[in-house]
Amino acid sequence: MFESLFKFLFKYRPIIFDEGSLAFRPTTATFVAAVVVVAIGVVTFQTYQRVRANTRPLDRAVLTGVRLTILAVLLLCLFRPVLVLSQVVAQQNFLGVLIDDSRSMAIADRDGESRADFVTQQFGGEESPLLTALADRFALRLFSFSSATNRITSVDDLAFDGTRTHLGQALTRAHEELAGVPLSGMVVVSDGADNADVELSDALVPLEAAGVPVFTVGLGREEYSRDIQLSRVDTPRSVLKGAALVVDVLLTQNGYAGETVSVQVEDEGRIVADQEVTLPADGEPATVRVRFTASDAGARLFSFRVAPRPDEMVTQNNERNALVVVEDTREKILYFEGEPRWELKFIGRAVEDDENLQVARLQRTAENKFMRIGVEDAEDLIGGFPRTREELFKYRAIILGSIEANYFTPDQLRMIADFVSERGGSLLMLGGQRSYAEGGYAGTPVADVLPVLLNPTAGDGEDGFFIETDVRPTRAGATHPATQIAETEEASGARWLELPPITLVNRITDVKPGATRLLESGDGSFVVLAFQRYGAGKALAFPIQDSWMWQMHADIAVDDQTHETLWRRLLRWMVDGVPDQVVADLPTDQTELDEPLSLRAEVDDANYEEINNSQVSAWITDPDDELFEVPMDWTADRDGEYASSFVPRKEGLYEVRMEATSDGELLGSDTAYIRVAPSDSEYYDSTMQASLLERVAEETGGRFYTTDTVDSLVDDIQTVGGGVTVVEERDLWDMPVFLFLFLALVLGEWGYRRSRGLA
Amino acid sequence: MEPTEIAVPAPRVAAPLAAQRQPIFRREDIRPTLKNPSANAREFFFTRAIYNGGGRRWGAWATDFPKADRQFLTILDRLIDLDAYEMENAIQLDDPAVRRFPFLYALEVGNMYMTEAEVKGLREYLLAGGFLMIDDFWGTYEWQNFEAEIKRVLPEYQIVDLPLNHPIFNTVYNIEEIVQVPSIGNAQGGPTWERDGYEAQVKGIFDETGRLMVVINWNTDIGDAWEWAESPYYPLRYSTYAIEITVNIIVYAMSH
Repeated sequence: MFESLFKFLFKYRPIIFDEGSLAFRPTTATFVAAVVVVAIGVVTFQTYQRVRANTRPLDRAVLTGVRLTILAVLLLCLFRPVLVLSQVVAQQNFLGVLIDDSRSMAIADRDGESRADFVTQQFGGEESPLLTALADRFALRLFSFSSATNRITSVDDLAFDGTRTHLGQALTRAHEELAGVPLSGMVVVSDGADNADVELSDALVPLEAAGVPVFTVGLGREEYSRDIQLSRVDTPRSVLKGAALVVDVLLTQNGYAGETVSVQVEDEGRIVADQEVTLPADGEPATVRVRFTASDAGARLFSFRVAPRPDEMVTQNNERNALVVVEDTREKILYFEGEPRWELKFIGRAVEDDENLQVARLQRTAENKFMRIGVEDAEDLIGGFPRTREELFKYRAIILGSIEANYFTPDQLRMIADFVSERGGSLLMLGGQRSYAEGGYAGTPVADVLPVLLNPTAGDGEDGFFIETDVRPTRAGATHPATQIAETEEASGARWLELPPITLVNRITDVKPGATRLLESGDGSFVVLAFQRYGAGKALAFPIQDSWMWQMHADIAVDDQTHETLWRRLLRWMVDGVPDQVVADLPTDQTELDEPLSLRAEVDDANYEEINNSQVSAWITDPDDELFEVPMDWTADRDGEYASSFVPRKEGLYEVRMEATSDGELLGSDTAYIRVAPSDSEYYDSTMQASLLERVAEETGGRFYTTDTVDSLVDDIQTVGGGVTVVEERDLWDMPVFLFLFLALVLGEWGYRRSRGLA
Repeated sequence: MEPTEIAVPAPRVAAPLAAQRQPIFRREDIRPTLKNPSANAREFFFTRAIYNGGGRRWGAWATDFPKADRQFLTILDRLIDLDAYEMENAIQLDDPAVRRFPFLYALEVGNMYMTEAEVKGLREYLLAGGFLMIDDFWGTYEWQNFEAEIKRVLPEYQIVDLPLNHPIFNTVYNIEEIVQVPSIGNAQGGPTWERDGYEAQVKGIFDETGRLMVVINWNTDIGDAWEWAESPYYPLRYSTYAIEITVNIIVYAMSH
């Protein structure tokens, strides 16, 4: 609208004025005429100065001004203003046309027509208007782009089945191919739903430097009217077998606000969770928390989905897959008690049936006399609490019961702190007469690790603090995986409030900044369970001394499993994600055929110090069970980091086992999995990304178009584009705006005279 | 929840206990104690089961009570690092508060005749995770009575012998033989047995997961050995064994 009005008044579109520069082309006759006009002006001025009849000074000034303005407009036209433009010479220049060949182009969001239909209509053949108009003026080079960029001869070569959109890569590739020819610019026809990992500016800067403008044509709608999308699913890469997973699914939607849908989780064909959710207002994300148990070991593909609605515009974005490695290992936990305590018996009992947890219990019965339960062999822990890092760091978690800080040597206290911060293990301290400040931990390295502030007034058990209290979950605790003691969140929250009271002898009221309080006393004044991340690991405070009451109390049914569930979940959460000496790291759980995959390993020695001179290999088993070795080298960027890459040539599941040896001795190994399959990422956030396309155009000096404004594309390229150009001058004196101005001034003068009675 | 003395329904025994309250060595003399002054905060209570049965004065359950208990607790405090309440603690089997104390001691069970409520209370206590130590009953007749009573509680579990290689015999102290501990009356010489209980035996009842729920000391009187441990006329061999096996049983019960 604005543009047509502009063109009506000023003869040319705004882009011409943007690109051109103003000049005057007067002739000899112009100067003669100018002298005449100036003379008329002088006469006019003097005449008005002299005339006095019936006029006020203001009238004379206005009329003189109007007259002089009319003469000035005439004078301006007489000097023949022109716009000097460099115009692309027809058929002398090349134009790269890059057409998006990805799956998202098949989305039919243009009143029933797909984005690909536009491409076919405009570029399909001889009759296609845009192709014809472009071909009239430029030598066209067509490219298709999705994961890769290819030269095509016509749009018939497009299949619209690419699984990714790598826009930056396409621009770079086309620019390289067209180097050395006069290039007017590039046209990108796409929905702009770029999902490459690389920065787009890497591709734009060279184009801008070379003066190659990119003209972007955006296809599709900027917002769907009816769509549900699973925007994100956060699952851990690996869990212990039997783990109760709590997974947040982020849902966005348009057009279904207030409706109830169910999010289902499928474990290779078996529905393992079904969670209903009421959809929020349009455009607002909703987080759905689904719970399920990873009951089968191995690399499992979990599918999260919302059943497609009948009138949904894009149904492919209703599902997401996550590859989770369900480990069937036995994780070692060291539980050290400084005195015989019922907690030791009941915690041991709670987890004894859990095949994935091995709790080695070390109990001091008298000075320097220890009892060992659940140890590996006769020598294990025979000297009491481990004295070397190597001995301690083979555990994944430590539970400290009622054991005074003085029992440990300063080295051992430092080792416990390092166990968390460097080895990445978990530490849990139980309540007791010899725990926390009452056990003399204030000022020790262990106190730094703990997530709670120690009571400054407690001095070695002389405080005499004791309370009996109910326990309730905090907001964070109500949803945290470690504190889920029933099947659903509601049931778990209710069950906490039913549990019998427990006792506290450690006065702990505050958590440290950054720590999370999960459970607290019924009146909220004391911390019952809190955790924080500390260095590479995590530390928990559970300052109660008789969680066994949740098993033994008369109000608890004999076959009740609450106590067992609590300790299993808590200990599993503690060992979850605790690294081994070798950690295999793949950037993603899914990749595409023939796409290079980077492999990364972090390697530590037995003391969990990074080691740079070990021999690391990735042993890769492909979907046909063929094994091959990829050597990995130290990256030199970071200590203990080794890297390599490989290109999968088959679709299916790859097992990648990274193994490190040092001086012929195995340091450890870790296995990761990756699925090689076509990506669905094209269907997520697949609305037209106008801002991205605008940015590409703006940064390179091109223009952005939609399907409604694309008509001016050809003329614009001719004006803005580079390559072989000629200088062209366009007259401005005959712009309609001058005529209208002239008429408006003449009529204005007449009107003024009429109104003043001077006519 | 009042866990301690209130559970004792009988009047206190006015025995001269000054000697027991002031032992020559207390643990604090060797290393500082960390005991919380609040009794409720204590970890371990030496808890006697009050059950319905025959016997002199208040009933069979109260034999040697409370001198044996206090004297044993005094010794226990010196031997192991256990936060134990210093005084006796007795509780009825049908009292829900029994679940607060996962260790129970019952003796003279040859005269035990539990009410239905007591049977139910003890059964749930044991299945929930509680532990029962049986002591001081002798001979075939008393065995039969006890066996009948415990079958009412745990009909589905068998009573089995505990071999000497069972961990309960070396949890803290290494016990190489099962000693018949005589009562004070039989300790000065002559036969150590009573009735036809010639040989001391240690038996147990395990649940289906292998957890020991009940340990049975038959044809022996461990409680008398605690009670008379300070007596110059009571042989050290018996009191040593009695204390060692009880320490082992308590530590085992608290860790397995």
